[in-house]
Amino acid sequence: MIEVRSLAKSFAVPARRGGWRRVRRAGDGTAAPTAGVDGSRVHAVVDVSFDAPDGRITGLLGPNGAGKTTTLRMLAALIAPDAGTMRVDGIDVVARPRDVLARMGVLSDARGLYPRLTARENIVYYGELQGMARDAAEARAVELARRFEMTPLLDRRAGGFSQGERMKTALCRALVHDPPNIVLDEPTNGLDVLATRALRDSLRWLRTPDGGAKCIVFSTHIMQEVERLCDGVVVVAHGRTVATGTVDELLAKSGQRDFEEAFVELAFAAERVAAEPVA
Amino acid sequence: MKRSIGAVAIVLRKELRDALRDRRTLMTVLVSAVLMGPLVLLAISGLVASLEARAEQREVVVAGIANAPTLRNYLERQTYVVKEAPRDFESQLRRSTLHDPVVVVPEHFEAELVRGDVPVVEIVSDSANQRAEASTARIERLLGGFSRERALLSLALRGVSAQVLEPMEVEDRDLASTQTRATRITGMLPYFVMMAVLYGALNAALDTTAGERERGSLEPLLMNPTERWALVAGKWGAVVCVSVLIAVLSCFSFLPGQWVLRSDTLQAMFQYGPREAGLFILLLLPLAAALSAVLMAVAIRSRTFKEAQASSTVVVLAVSLLPLVNVFDLGGEAPWHLWAPALAQNTLMTRVLKGEALDAWQVLVPLGVCAALAASGVWSVARQLHQAAVK
Repeated sequence: MIEVRSLAKSFAVPARRGGWRRVRRAGDGTAAPTAGVDGSRVHAVVDVSFDAPDGRITGLLGPNGAGKTTTLRMLAALIAPDAGTMRVDGIDVVARPRDVLARMGVLSDARGLYPRLTARENIVYYGELQGMARDAAEARAVELARRFEMTPLLDRRAGGFSQGERMKTALCRALVHDPPNIVLDEPTNGLDVLATRALRDSLRWLRTPDGGAKCIVFSTHIMQEVERLCDGVVVVAHGRTVATGTVDELLAKSGQRDFEEAFVELAFAAERVAAEPVA
Repeated sequence: MKRSIGAVAIVLRKELRDALRDRRTLMTVLVSAVLMGPLVLLAISGLVASLEARAEQREVVVAGIANAPTLRNYLERQTYVVKEAPRDFESQLRRSTLHDPVVVVPEHFEAELVRGDVPVVEIVSDSANQRAEASTARIERLLGGFSRERALLSLALRGVSAQVLEPMEVEDRDLASTQTRATRITGMLPYFVMMAVLYGALNAALDTTAGERERGSLEPLLMNPTERWALVAGKWGAVVCVSVLIAVLSCFSFLPGQWVLRSDTLQAMFQYGPREAGLFILLLLPLAAALSAVLMAVAIRSRTFKEAQASSTVVVLAVSLLPLVNVFDLGGEAPWHLWAPALAQNTLMTRVLKGEALDAWQVLVPLGVCAALAASGVWSVARQLHQAAVK
């Protein structure tokens, strides 16, 4: 169970090296912040809220630069939010980050493996860091490898892996401690059709009581992914949550029949709102 | 806390395994850092042996010896073999293909000598030609002897005592022990060992920080419930281990190295046994710890391995150049030397080679400096870690 409320994060624009001109502040400073550059700060996330219940797949859908990755990084306690609260199974992320990380498996945007270690060693390393005994981690690696059909890969070094093999290994690594919450940042990036289908099947299985009824949050900018997989959708644009609901609810809300059109309508509406000054 | 210490061990083990699997880098470091020292030692011993052989040969190369039968007579009486210089001796000396200085006798030497006109004899050498240069002093002394003999003979003919010409006698007394003298030649040994520590640490330090960023594995690593300091401590421990491993190999590589020394004198002077090797390693441990931490602190600020290599050049340069203060003996040993890392270790290792005792202060000061450097390096990496992961 993941609850996110009114999350906000801005970053300082890196100082221009060698430049002496000061960056002019845009606007008069009274407008409500929108995602984008405002004077010396970039507002990556302005107001994101969503609930992701157990046993369901929640899709975080948004165009590039909407603030999905920043949101997930905050959820993984990698960066501290400026405002808002995040709770994972009732535990506050900012106050007790390590307790949260023990209950969460994250497949982040960066999914680098250690090329000189085998897939098994890569997975077991994370298991041990999660506090598992070595034997338990080894057993879990074998079990996950079977589940994701990568047993032959286990004792090969990760250096020569294909994109799909790397993804699978990274996913096993994130799930090694059998976390009740799973967060995936654009997991299908760079995967071919077969690998994408395999991943989808795995996620569906993880959602079932057999698979542990996990709470799964996954970010993407691909409509089909959401349509085929998600029980709930959170549309994020310009750093804000602009709509939530099931695919059908969102279709109804936007008055469109095609989900892609619905998404564009919702995101475009957000853009119009963002452009209008607050009265 | 217990769990964090467990995590340190887990990270350390993984990083060590990772570093030791990087065979190509390890081999490069081993070849350059570990084999280099003994090879240089061998080369030096070859040079010394050839100088010794030259000194024993008692040969003198003269251009125009036919013009000076008196000189030839004198040289032969000193049991020297006189060799006629090749025609192009100047260019040969420049090219270092001729290894003896050449005595050039003018055409009218004999006549001028008899008239008392002070003929000029040149000793031609090239200061870039080390072997020829080494023999110049010997030849100068030899020719000086000839002058003195002539002078004594002239005085004796006039009934003057020889002591008038030499009212004072000069004798050499060298205070240096055999070992001290040897350090003039073996003084570069600590330098090589220190470079082994540096290059041993360099790759591992860069790989565990900037390399981790470049691969995109730092961000997922930080999504484990492990304390930052435990991650950094584990990584640092592994880098120190690799560096010390290379240092140990390097220190011990000089042991078999000295068996093949070709010069007997050098072998007698070169006091480097297991005890010295052990002391070297003890002295190098804190340096390895400090260097690893500093290199990691520099590298974590770089996004890529390549960028990290560029920025760590400063550290590499400092460590390579500081000991040269000793090698070139700029102003002798000064108290501040102990406070500069690398220079302090070089000073202390040189003392070990000279067979001098180390007092507690001399050991504690560099130890303290290195501990402070290591602590601040590790702290800086831990502080930088999260920022580095997301940028």
